Amino acid sequence: MSLLLKNVSLPLAHFTLKVDFEVRSRVTAVFGPSGAGKTSLLDLVAGLRAARSAFIQLDDCVLTDTAKSISVPVHQRGIGYVPQDLALFPHLSVRRNLLYGRKSGGAGDPLFSFEHVTDVLEIQPLVSRGVTELSGGEKQRVALARALLASPRLLLLDEPLASLDSPLKEKIIPYLSRIRDEFRIPTLCVTHDRFEALALADEIVVLVDGRVVQTGPVPEVFTRPANAEVARLVAIETLQPGSVIRMSEGLATVSVNRVTLTALAPAATSHEVLVCIRGEDVILQRDAASASSVRNRLSARVLSLRPQGALVRVELDAGFPLFALVTRSACAELNLREGEPITALIKAPAIHLVPR
Amino acid sequence: MTGEDWHVVWFTAWVSASSTLAILPFGLALAWVLARRNWPGKSLLETFVSLPLVMPPVATGLILLKILGRRGAIGGWFHDQFNLDIIFTWRAVLIALGVMSFPLLVHFARVAFEEVNPRLEQIARTLGAGGWRVFFTITLPLAARGITAGLILAFARALGEFGATIMVAGNIPGKTSTLSLSIFQNVQLGEDSHAFRLLGVSVVLAFAAVWSSQFLMHRKCKTK
Amino acid sequence: MNRRTLFFCLCCGVSAIALPLRAAEVMVFAAASLTDSLTGIAAAYEKQSGDKILFNFGASSTLARQIEEGAPADIFFSADEAQMDGLAKKNLIDPATRKSRLGNSLVVVTPADSALQIRSASDLTNAGVKQIALADPKAVPAGVYAKAWLTRQQLWPDIEPKVVPTENVRATLAAVEAGNVELGVVYKTDAGISQKVKIAYEVPLADGPAISYPMALVRESKQPEAAKKFLAYLSSKEAGQVFKRYGFILLE
Repeated sequence: MSLLLKNVSLPLAHFTLKVDFEVRSRVTAVFGPSGAGKTSLLDLVAGLRAARSAFIQLDDCVLTDTAKSISVPVHQRGIGYVPQDLALFPHLSVRRNLLYGRKSGGAGDPLFSFEHVTDVLEIQPLVSRGVTELSGGEKQRVALARALLASPRLLLLDEPLASLDSPLKEKIIPYLSRIRDEFRIPTLCVTHDRFEALALADEIVVLVDGRVVQTGPVPEVFTRPANAEVARLVAIETLQPGSVIRMSEGLATVSVNRVTLTALAPAATSHEVLVCIRGEDVILQRDAASASSVRNRLSARVLSLRPQGALVRVELDAGFPLFALVTRSACAELNLREGEPITALIKAPAIHLVPR
Repeated sequence: MTGEDWHVVWFTAWVSASSTLAILPFGLALAWVLARRNWPGKSLLETFVSLPLVMPPVATGLILLKILGRRGAIGGWFHDQFNLDIIFTWRAVLIALGVMSFPLLVHFARVAFEEVNPRLEQIARTLGAGGWRVFFTITLPLAARGITAGLILAFARALGEFGATIMVAGNIPGKTSTLSLSIFQNVQLGEDSHAFRLLGVSVVLAFAAVWSSQFLMHRKCKTK
Repeated sequence: MNRRTLFFCLCCGVSAIALPLRAAEVMVFAAASLTDSLTGIAAAYEKQSGDKILFNFGASSTLARQIEEGAPADIFFSADEAQMDGLAKKNLIDPATRKSRLGNSLVVVTPADSALQIRSASDLTNAGVKQIALADPKAVPAGVYAKAWLTRQQLWPDIEPKVVPTENVRATLAAVEAGNVELGVVYKTDAGISQKVKIAYEVPLADGPAISYPMALVRESKQPEAAKKFLAYLSSKEAGQVFKRYGFILLE
């Protein structure tokens, strides 16, 4: 699928939203700090807002073209929208909510059948209840199911995990992954949480103050931010796939390229994970001798040194590519040189595991 | 209470209910537009709609007399085209009641519409519902309590209407005599006890109307 | 008491007595049909006497009710004996001052531009006449008279469904002027006032009821002397001429 946004200009309260980008992947995260214009962008794509100028095309269908005064009405766009406050209809039962977008007449695609969708999202027992009787997580799933049952060709999710607490977040992520894998609907997902983006998206669009500052595949943007602004928002220098070997006492043992790391156990159990380590969380030490509280001590070799402002970005081989950010003075003090061995210390809480 | 009195009560109730139903679609439409749309000069329309509520009713009645009379803009047209009289018939009463209670209905309906979360309407549209479907399946059901309270109050206002009605109705016994006009006439004629009996009926009607409207509004608050 | 205080008291005393004597206000409750004639007469009287005459014009039945409820009237000038009798029965008027000097006659009026022809009372029952304005025939004298006339002609049951009752005879006139009714029954004196109506039929005095306008002093009057003076003036030749000019019939 392809979603093209060109010449978009929408004046907002403090700035003007001006974007130009195209996304082709299954799940795209629109990432940025609060107030960056992300929700307004979703509203534009859904047709709920009119821009001063915009050209929006989904696959081969032009949704909006202000130059030619074309604007497909909202109810004809076939775009599913799950807003941040979910907007479940309080006066209808869960069943009536779910079936609201159902086109009358006929079986349609069994993929989007009532049974299948409610099965995937595990909401069958809730169907006869009233909307106000549901818990936060249940409401989220119902809202997602409702959007899916309308057989959308694009799904817009506005901060799907923002209003949930951590354990609940980790519970919902698998459902979102299921949606991505089972229903294969292109999805535009707004988030301000980089781990959410990592967990859900293939591609990411970074939006700051109404402007796109970087787009690209998630790992690339996160490890190679285009400028300091993006770096501040997303930068995670080390991103490596790993497997959870063991979980006990609240800790997880992860294997990355046959190197074992100890991290805090994530709430959701998932075998395959993405191991995320920020550069500033990696401590370099000359000798590994004395005992310390750090659980992860890796013998590594310095591969390269690259100055980054007041810091130096040190690329290491610790059995897997590991990046550290240290001050220049520290670099000089430790006499870091390419090819030399060094010990890398990483505290367990500094290793983030994102289920994949 | 004589048979004639009950006829007056029945006529008052019937014409009040009819006028309330007659203004319902227009009142809802206007209330929706005022709740959901903005345009330059909107406050002018709002003020205009509220006028019958704040002007002396007889002043509104006078305007209606001029318009609905046989030589008036509307009354004249009906008289010439269809040989139909409006002034001094039940039609004039219905119109007077409708005009006087219209601002009440619009006010309450508007508040009710404004309290419907616009996000719900937007999401309904993304689910494929066109404008009318959204209105009837989402907006109206969610605004129903407030609208009903407004309807009841409009009905109560119509029941008690006097100033405008006396200008255009003619108080024709058996034809255009309403409860309030009848009370007035009985006082004029010195028939106080008769007037008090009619007064009792009108108090009961007004009480029932306002009480049920309060009841609805309270229930609405409780479920929130 | 010293001289200055005494002088002050004297002045207050004198003014307390003198002021009411200077400019009395007499409140006259009078039938609506007397509006124009009485206003003219009062203007002349005020110049002569220095008293002020205030008016409350309306349907005699309404005015009688107001007097019953204690309204501050000094003189009641009714359009029929019945209303005056009602007050007399309740001892609200001074019967010694009661006098019936004026009469009137009834006419049928139509809007000035109407083509309707009324040649007799029975023409009122024609299909072309849809609505007839009358002062409320239940109590207002003009309506009571009209009903009496039509009852005598044995036409009232046919005409009653067409009647639009109005609050007083001037309201009847207004309804006909506005063209909202085909015709109305008013006093001849009212028809004379308005340019916008024309007399379609004059009710012969023999067909109609006897119309007389009694006037009397209201017992509770706060200005009995001044009121009696004005009542006397109303019976004078000068006043009589004004009434005649407006079309009233003098009954003496």
